[in-house]
Amino acid sequence: MLAESSKEERRDEQFAEKISTKIWLETPSEENPYLTEESYCHGYSLMELMKKRSFVDVLYLLFRGELPTPDEAELLEHLMIALISPGPRHPATRAAMNAGVGKTDTAHILPISMNIYGGEHIGGASIEPAMRFLRKHRRKPAQEIVEELFANSQPPAEGDWHIAPGFGSRFNGIDPMPAKIAKQLLKLNGAGDTLRWADQFAEVLSYHNKGWLNTGVVAAVLTDLGFPPRSGAGLLQLFAAPGLLAHGIEFANKPISAMPFPKDEDYVIEYQKK
Amino acid sequence: MKIMSSNIRKNNIELWDRNRGTIRSSIGGWKVGEAVYNHGYSMMDDFVGKISYMQLIMLNATGRLPERKIADWVEQVHICMSWPDSRIWCNQIGALAGTNRASVIAATSAGLLANDSRSYGTKTIVEGVEFIQSAMNQYKRGLSADEIVKNECAKHGGKPHIMGYARPIAKGDERIPAMEAVQKSLDIPFGDHQVLAYKINDILSRDFDATINFNGYLSAVLTDNDFTPRELYRLLAILVSSGITACYVDCMDKPAESFFTQRCDDIEYIGKPIRKFPE
Repeated sequence: MLAESSKEERRDEQFAEKISTKIWLETPSEENPYLTEESYCHGYSLMELMKKRSFVDVLYLLFRGELPTPDEAELLEHLMIALISPGPRHPATRAAMNAGVGKTDTAHILPISMNIYGGEHIGGASIEPAMRFLRKHRRKPAQEIVEELFANSQPPAEGDWHIAPGFGSRFNGIDPMPAKIAKQLLKLNGAGDTLRWADQFAEVLSYHNKGWLNTGVVAAVLTDLGFPPRSGAGLLQLFAAPGLLAHGIEFANKPISAMPFPKDEDYVIEYQKK
Repeated sequence: MKIMSSNIRKNNIELWDRNRGTIRSSIGGWKVGEAVYNHGYSMMDDFVGKISYMQLIMLNATGRLPERKIADWVEQVHICMSWPDSRIWCNQIGALAGTNRASVIAATSAGLLANDSRSYGTKTIVEGVEFIQSAMNQYKRGLSADEIVKNECAKHGGKPHIMGYARPIAKGDERIPAMEAVQKSLDIPFGDHQVLAYKINDILSRDFDATINFNGYLSAVLTDNDFTPRELYRLLAILVSSGITACYVDCMDKPAESFFTQRCDDIEYIGKPIRKFPE
């Protein structure tokens, strides 16, 4: 029994007296200190940003602390368009549709679907590891890394094999879309060394029936643009948010019968006693 | 170029075709007019009125129907993790949801997401279980509790950063004697992991003024009762939900935006000074 050592005593731990931030300044109204008179993002007036800069510029500014060059902004914008919808078959989109058709409060459609898109399988949770993987290996020959990976890992018993975060097979094939997206981004002036290295890496992987995954493309571009790895999961969710919401809202006005509810013969119980 | 054979059956889509248009469940489902099956049981015949809700939660999370007394103990663990204190990080999210007039379901699920944390909550219990399992393996190999602590501290520059020991804000943990009493009343014996966990507590207390916390206690008891880290992560998914709901309700019943308020100048801006656009 631990009665004696379990007796609680307050520790004199120091917590901040105030929240501090480098990102946003709100100056108070003279009449009411809770109301904001002006807002500034990394020193730039929000009203000026509205007049003079694009959404993508301000998004970049939020995370990087400086405005992007035209080439950087172009690269980020093209990536965001490429990722704007995971497509109607993606589990995250289907979750949005389920919420929509089920008449879930529409305020929840986006958080529901973005939660799903945050998963490890070609989702948000794989961006940070992919960015760290690219940072670690991008100075080494791609062929060498591929050989190392295959020598030190085993394929799963079933399903796709993601040999490295952001790279692998999709439905046991090479997904053509991320490869096309990467090739198109590579033509832009803002394309960087990480994206170029990752494309060589995907090329070597193609001999093993593997290649780019969407998450690999996002990780490579975000790395080149200098975004911190920990921002990767949320940024992927943010990029896909418009498509997820649009698909969910499309079903919000439809009857519940507008989506399949499998018949009993198509719902198979395969329970095995453990 | 050296080509390694890795996935010879390119574009073999059997797995996906087998599941196309069909849901295959390994757990159960509703056979209309017949029964609702769950892991081979009929829910209406075998469960309703016969088992506790916590037993069902544990079955759904692990695939095993536990003894009633283990489920009763786990239920009490949930009480220990459901404080109505909005200073706790996940609870504060519930409070903020209330003050911003989000729905109770949005509030509780948002707080639960926060509990998916490296610092507190369910994930740390997984780490606590991994530690006590590893400690037990070392102990069985002949290392003393002293040596186990020494090895663990060596990984962290000599500091006693061991999951399940020490905690922020306070030293000691009064949930442990409360749960020990529950354990005793339910006749759940002290197992090997719990005994070892307490030996480690004695050493940390002697050398570092750090004691076992609730995580360390329940990680040991749950391991003694054959739960794996993966099972516990699933089983304790809603561990903190009730405290979040409580803090939501507290704020929802008060004026909007009146929780733990901040004036503009309560935020310390440490960024770039106000600047003009580059020409």
